[in-house]
Amino acid sequence: MSDLLQSLSISGSGMKAQSHRIRLTSENIANADTPGYRRKTSDFHSMAGGTVENGPVRLDRAELEQIHNPDHPLADERGNYLGSNVEMIVEIADAREAQRSYEANLKLFDQARQMTMGLLELLKR
Amino acid sequence: MELTTSLAASGYLSARDAAKADPHSPKSNLTKMGEEFLTALNSGEEVAKSTMLGQSDPHSLVQALSATELAVETAVTLRDKVVEAYQEILRMPV
Repeated sequence: MSDLLQSLSISGSGMKAQSHRIRLTSENIANADTPGYRRKTSDFHSMAGGTVENGPVRLDRAELEQIHNPDHPLADERGNYLGSNVEMIVEIADAREAQRSYEANLKLFDQARQMTMGLLELLKR
Repeated sequence: MELTTSLAASGYLSARDAAKADPHSPKSNLTKMGEEFLTALNSGEEVAKSTMLGQSDPHSLVQALSATELAVETAVTLRDKVVEAYQEILRMPV
Protein backbone atom coordinates (compact mmCIF):
# COMPACT_ATOMS: atom_id res chain seq x y z
CA MET A 1 0.00 0.00 0.00
CA SER A 2 2.81 2.44 0.75
CA ASP A 3 4.28 1.85 -2.74
CA LEU A 4 1.05 3.04 -4.30
CA LEU A 5 0.84 6.03 -1.97
CA GLN A 6 4.46 6.94 -2.79
CA SER A 7 3.60 6.72 -6.48
CA LEU A 8 0.89 9.32 -5.82
CA SER A 9 3.38 11.77 -4.34
CA ILE A 10 5.94 11.09 -7.09
CA SER A 11 3.40 11.76 -9.85
CA GLY A 12 2.38 14.90 -7.96
CA SER A 13 5.96 16.15 -7.93
CA GLY A 14 6.24 15.44 -11.66
CA MET A 15 3.14 17.54 -12.31
CA LYS A 16 4.54 20.38 -10.20
CA ALA A 17 7.84 20.30 -12.11
CA GLN A 18 6.10 20.35 -15.51
CA SER A 19 3.82 23.21 -14.48
CA HIS A 20 6.92 25.21 -13.48
CA ARG A 21 8.37 24.47 -16.92
CA ILE A 22 5.17 25.73 -18.60
CA ARG A 23 5.37 28.88 -16.51
CA LEU A 24 8.90 29.63 -17.75
CA THR A 25 7.78 28.98 -21.33
CA SER A 26 4.87 31.40 -20.98
CA GLU A 27 7.23 34.02 -19.51
CA ASN A 28 9.52 33.60 -22.50
CA ILE A 29 6.67 33.91 -24.99
CA ALA A 30 5.23 36.96 -23.25
CA ASN A 31 8.63 38.69 -23.26
CA ALA A 32 9.57 37.71 -26.80
CA ASP A 33 9.56 41.34 -27.93
CA THR A 34 11.17 42.87 -24.85
CA PRO A 35 14.55 44.41 -25.74
CA GLY A 36 17.42 42.73 -23.96
CA TYR A 37 15.36 39.77 -22.68
CA ARG A 38 17.25 36.50 -22.34
CA ARG A 39 15.34 33.23 -22.53
CA LYS A 40 14.86 31.41 -19.20
CA THR A 41 15.47 27.68 -18.92
CA SER A 42 15.47 25.20 -16.08
CA ASP A 43 16.37 21.54 -15.85
CA PHE A 44 15.16 18.70 -13.61
CA HIS A 45 16.87 16.95 -10.71
CA SER A 46 15.92 13.62 -9.21
CA MET A 47 15.53 13.75 -5.44
CA ALA A 48 15.74 11.07 -2.76
CA GLY A 49 12.58 8.98 -2.78
CA GLY A 50 12.18 9.24 -6.54
CA THR A 51 10.52 12.65 -6.73
CA VAL A 52 11.64 15.26 -9.26
CA GLU A 53 12.45 18.90 -8.67
CA ASN A 54 13.31 21.88 -10.84
CA GLY A 55 16.88 23.06 -10.81
CA PRO A 56 17.75 26.77 -10.66
CA VAL A 57 16.37 29.01 -13.40
CA ARG A 58 19.13 29.84 -15.87
CA LEU A 59 19.38 32.35 -18.68
CA ASP A 60 20.08 31.16 -22.19
CA ARG A 61 23.37 32.68 -23.30
CA ALA A 62 22.65 32.66 -27.04
CA GLU A 63 23.22 35.86 -29.00
CA LEU A 64 20.58 38.54 -28.72
CA GLU A 65 18.97 39.49 -32.00
CA GLN A 66 19.94 42.80 -33.65
CA ILE A 67 16.78 44.53 -34.86
CA HIS A 68 17.04 47.34 -37.35
CA ASN A 69 14.51 50.07 -36.57
CA PRO A 70 15.81 53.67 -36.58
CA ASP A 71 12.58 54.98 -35.06
CA HIS A 72 12.90 52.91 -31.90
CA PRO A 73 13.82 54.94 -28.76
CA LEU A 74 16.65 52.52 -27.94
CA ALA A 75 18.21 52.51 -31.43
CA ASP A 76 21.90 53.39 -31.62
CA GLU A 77 23.52 55.56 -34.35
CA ARG A 78 23.18 52.78 -36.96
CA GLY A 79 19.47 52.25 -36.16
CA ASN A 80 19.92 48.85 -34.45
CA TYR A 81 18.85 47.77 -31.04
CA LEU A 82 19.12 44.47 -29.17
CA GLY A 83 15.96 42.39 -29.09
CA SER A 84 15.46 39.13 -27.22
CA ASN A 85 16.79 35.66 -28.00
CA VAL A 86 13.40 33.94 -27.78
CA GLU A 87 12.40 31.78 -30.76
CA MET A 88 8.68 31.11 -30.98
CA ILE A 89 9.03 27.66 -32.55
CA VAL A 90 11.30 26.44 -29.77
CA GLU A 91 9.02 27.80 -27.07
CA ILE A 92 5.86 26.32 -28.57
CA ALA A 93 7.54 22.92 -28.98
CA ASP A 94 8.72 23.09 -25.38
CA ALA A 95 5.22 23.95 -24.19
CA ARG A 96 3.77 21.01 -26.09
CA GLU A 97 6.36 18.65 -24.58
CA ALA A 98 5.59 19.95 -21.11
CA GLN A 99 1.87 19.40 -21.69
CA ARG A 100 2.42 15.79 -22.80
CA SER A 101 4.59 15.06 -19.76
CA TYR A 102 2.02 16.66 -17.49
CA GLU A 103 -0.77 14.54 -18.95
CA ALA A 104 1.32 11.39 -18.57
CA ASN A 105 1.92 12.18 -14.89
CA LEU A 106 -1.76 12.91 -14.41
CA LYS A 107 -2.75 9.58 -15.94
CA LEU A 108 -0.31 7.75 -13.70
CA PHE A 109 -1.66 9.53 -10.63
CA ASP A 110 -5.18 8.49 -11.52
CA GLN A 111 -4.06 4.94 -12.22
CA ALA A 112 -2.34 4.55 -8.85
CA ARG A 113 -5.46 5.89 -7.16
CA GLN A 114 -7.72 3.50 -9.06
CA MET A 115 -5.51 0.55 -8.22
CA THR A 116 -5.74 1.31 -4.51
CA MET A 117 -9.50 1.78 -4.64
CA GLY A 118 -9.87 -1.48 -6.58
CA LEU A 119 -7.89 -3.27 -3.90
CA LEU A 120 -10.16 -1.92 -1.18
CA GLU A 121 -13.24 -2.91 -3.19
CA LEU A 122 -12.31 -6.53 -2.63
CA LEU A 123 -12.99 -6.16 1.05
CA LYS A 124 -16.36 -4.59 0.54
CA ARG A 125 -17.90 -7.52 -1.20
CA MET B 1 -32.12 -6.78 49.25
CA GLU B 2 -33.83 -3.55 48.46
CA LEU B 3 -33.39 -2.28 44.93
CA THR B 4 -32.92 1.41 45.48
CA THR B 5 -31.79 4.10 43.06
CA SER B 6 -28.52 4.40 45.00
CA LEU B 7 -27.73 0.75 44.24
CA ALA B 8 -28.43 1.35 40.54
CA ALA B 9 -26.28 4.48 40.55
CA SER B 10 -23.33 2.72 42.18
CA GLY B 11 -23.72 -0.14 39.66
CA TYR B 12 -23.51 2.32 36.75
CA LEU B 13 -20.45 4.00 38.24
CA SER B 14 -18.54 0.73 38.64
CA ALA B 15 -19.42 -0.30 35.07
CA ARG B 16 -18.19 3.06 33.80
CA ASP B 17 -14.86 2.70 35.60
CA ALA B 18 -14.36 -0.77 34.17
CA ALA B 19 -14.79 0.51 30.59
CA LYS B 20 -12.32 3.38 30.93
CA ALA B 21 -9.22 3.40 28.66
CA ASP B 22 -5.95 2.70 30.42
CA PRO B 23 -3.38 5.36 29.40
CA HIS B 24 -0.44 3.21 30.49
CA SER B 25 -1.23 0.08 28.51
CA PRO B 26 1.06 -0.63 25.52
CA LYS B 27 -0.18 0.61 22.13
CA SER B 28 -1.73 -2.05 20.01
CA ASN B 29 -1.66 -2.14 16.25
CA LEU B 30 -5.22 -0.86 16.10
CA THR B 31 -4.30 2.23 18.11
CA LYS B 32 -1.40 2.96 15.81
CA MET B 33 -3.62 2.61 12.75
CA GLY B 34 -6.13 4.96 14.30
CA GLU B 35 -3.40 7.52 14.93
CA GLU B 36 -2.11 7.23 11.36
CA PHE B 37 -5.64 7.76 10.11
CA LEU B 38 -6.00 10.90 12.23
CA THR B 39 -2.63 12.19 11.00
CA ALA B 40 -3.71 11.73 7.39
CA LEU B 41 -6.96 13.59 8.02
CA ASN B 42 -5.25 16.48 9.82
CA SER B 43 -2.53 16.91 7.20
CA GLY B 44 -5.17 16.93 4.46
CA GLU B 45 -7.04 19.66 6.31
CA GLU B 46 -3.86 21.71 6.78
CA VAL B 47 -3.00 21.54 3.07
CA ALA B 48 -6.57 22.53 2.17
CA LYS B 49 -6.38 25.56 4.48
CA SER B 50 -3.02 26.71 3.10
CA THR B 51 -4.26 26.28 -0.50
CA MET B 52 -7.27 28.48 0.30
CA LEU B 53 -4.87 31.13 1.58
CA GLY B 54 -2.84 30.85 -1.62
CA GLN B 55 0.30 29.49 0.06
CA SER B 56 0.17 26.01 -1.42
CA ASP B 57 -0.22 24.77 -4.98
CA PRO B 58 -3.16 22.71 -6.26
CA HIS B 59 -1.01 19.62 -6.82
CA SER B 60 -0.27 19.21 -3.12
CA LEU B 61 -3.95 19.72 -2.41
CA VAL B 62 -5.06 16.96 -4.77
CA GLN B 63 -2.37 14.67 -3.42
CA ALA B 64 -3.29 15.23 0.21
CA LEU B 65 -7.01 14.88 -0.45
CA SER B 66 -6.48 11.64 -2.38
CA ALA B 67 -4.46 10.25 0.51
CA THR B 68 -7.21 11.31 2.92
CA GLU B 69 -9.87 9.70 0.74
CA LEU B 70 -7.90 6.43 0.67
CA ALA B 71 -7.39 6.52 4.44
CA VAL B 72 -11.11 7.05 5.02
CA GLU B 73 -12.01 4.21 2.64
CA THR B 74 -9.61 1.87 4.44
CA ALA B 75 -10.94 2.81 7.86
CA VAL B 76 -14.56 2.40 6.79
CA THR B 77 -13.89 -0.99 5.20
CA LEU B 78 -12.06 -2.21 8.29
CA ARG B 79 -14.85 -1.01 10.54
CA ASP B 80 -17.43 -2.80 8.42
CA LYS B 81 -15.45 -6.03 8.60
CA VAL B 82 -15.04 -5.82 12.35
CA VAL B 83 -18.73 -5.06 12.91
CA GLU B 84 -19.74 -7.89 10.59
CA ALA B 85 -17.52 -10.35 12.49
CA TYR B 86 -19.01 -9.17 15.79
CA GLN B 87 -22.53 -9.64 14.47
CA GLU B 88 -21.68 -13.14 13.25
CA ILE B 89 -20.54 -14.03 16.74
CA LEU B 90 -23.75 -12.58 18.22
CA ARG B 91 -25.81 -14.70 15.90
CA MET B 92 -24.25 -17.92 17.19
CA PRO B 93 -26.90 -20.08 18.83
CA VAL B 94 -26.37 -20.35 22.58
